[in-house]
Amino acid sequence: MSATIRNLEGNEACALGAIRAGCRFFAGYPITPSSEVAEVMARELPKVGGTFIQMEDEIASMGAVIGASMGGVKAMTATSGPGFSLKQENLGYACGAEIPCVIVNVMRGGPSTGMPTRPAQGDIMQARWGTHGDHAIIVLAPASVAEAYSETIRAVELSETLRVPVVVLLDEVIGHLTETVDLAAVPETPEVWRKFATGPREGFQPYAVTEDLIPPMPRPGDGYRAHCTGLTHAPGGFPTQVPEVATAAVTRTTDKLALHRARIESWRVQDAEDADLLIVAIGISARAARQAVRDLRAEGLKVGLVRPVTLWPFPEDALRETVARSGARAVLVPEMNQGQLVLEVERVLAGRAPALRLNRIDGQPITPDEIAAAAREALT
Amino acid sequence: MATTEIRFSGSGGQGLLLSARILAAALARQGRNVAQSNAYEPVSRGGLSRSDLVISEGEADFPLARRLDYLLILDAAGLGVSDHLLSPRSLVLADAELVPDPPRGDFATRALPFVETARSLGNPRVTNIVALGTLCALSGLCPPEVLLDRVLAMTPAKFDRLNRDAFAAGLAMAVPEPV
Repeated sequence: MSATIRNLEGNEACALGAIRAGCRFFAGYPITPSSEVAEVMARELPKVGGTFIQMEDEIASMGAVIGASMGGVKAMTATSGPGFSLKQENLGYACGAEIPCVIVNVMRGGPSTGMPTRPAQGDIMQARWGTHGDHAIIVLAPASVAEAYSETIRAVELSETLRVPVVVLLDEVIGHLTETVDLAAVPETPEVWRKFATGPREGFQPYAVTEDLIPPMPRPGDGYRAHCTGLTHAPGGFPTQVPEVATAAVTRTTDKLALHRARIESWRVQDAEDADLLIVAIGISARAARQAVRDLRAEGLKVGLVRPVTLWPFPEDALRETVARSGARAVLVPEMNQGQLVLEVERVLAGRAPALRLNRIDGQPITPDEIAAAAREALT
Repeated sequence: MATTEIRFSGSGGQGLLLSARILAAALARQGRNVAQSNAYEPVSRGGLSRSDLVISEGEADFPLARRLDYLLILDAAGLGVSDHLLSPRSLVLADAELVPDPPRGDFATRALPFVETARSLGNPRVTNIVALGTLCALSGLCPPEVLLDRVLAMTPAKFDRLNRDAFAAGLAMAVPEPV
């Protein structure tokens, strides 16, 4: 057996992926079912010269992560729904000030403290719109332990290169699932860093508008004077309420993600070409759907799966084109909430095909048999 | 995708999660893919404990148990919770002493003296290793020497002798049931 093949837990894979991508700072406050991310970081970060801090609460954890990143270190935190809610104010600051950072959110039953040990997928909308105002954010949704590893690596890289917070959104099942993973399946590539400021110190503009819409970040110690604020700021970094400057400032951050959409979006398709029914799902619900598609195909039913790996920005062209190419009559969206992903699917399809719902909020994962039954009903 | 599904169930503290982890490690060494999921509740001792393995070639489509091939029940706390996962392809292995009324139906059920054997070896805590030996022999999932190697690697060295004996006793117990 190769030394790179290991049985890893999803949460552990997140931690190891982050470290491999160069994350060297973790501040967190343990919360079920995400605590193993912090546990592994506490054990592994010191071995690579990194820093682990258990903070006094989730709010402070997010603040520490932002500070570490501004200080020139790749930084991450991990939490679950209630802690994710607490982090939203500082997460908004990171969005506004464009501070690279990664937030792992392992979803459990909610609202509030809900069902701490039970899985859910109720933070699909919180991950996108949890902080206030118009803002750019990336959310990745692994559906396996292998992906918890590779997508956390991608989260660190996207966060760095695009100067944007990235959320890795797991559900409790994937977070606590152990699977056999080949760590070498993710090819060795040079470490990715944010674009650091170069050139004259005099007149440096920390939020300069560049062609790629990604302002270079000053590296602490390089001698650039930079003001950083959560207030809407002009390219010079200082607050502004001049209408056209404010509009341009916020628009640039959202345009930035639109401009780089091709490298952000990721999705997987299974048996979609001739599908009469397409299933759209993430996380453990997508694994159930994968099995259901296999079972239904064995019965001769033409069913396929579209799985967003990048959840936000939603891979809308991919879904639209897959539905159009297959000629699917309907789309089925199984999710462990009362219907969140389905809202985005409905928006994207805009009536081209009806979006059918399959929901569970009882703390139990949706099974392949339930999805298969819903699919059979939809096709009759 | 063809899977082999095993559930270790019983009472918290019986070493069920560890047994599953050991078997998973041995299977990974044999090139198999294993998905392990555990009962996850706010309890530390006693009460239902369970760990499931879904074994496949390549990543399993669905990593959670659907139809068990092997169900191990080491304590009455494990009764009742797995019946919906049993089918004619299942083999139930229940402890003869602690599980007085194991599930019976259109599947095979065997009551075996796991606890009694461990006790006769001097420590009922190796019940899980006895059961692992029996499961290894009955399932043929991996060579006994590969599994024993992982047992010894993943448990404290001071128990090596006891674990070897427990594993061997478990293997020996896996003789065909008398007609």
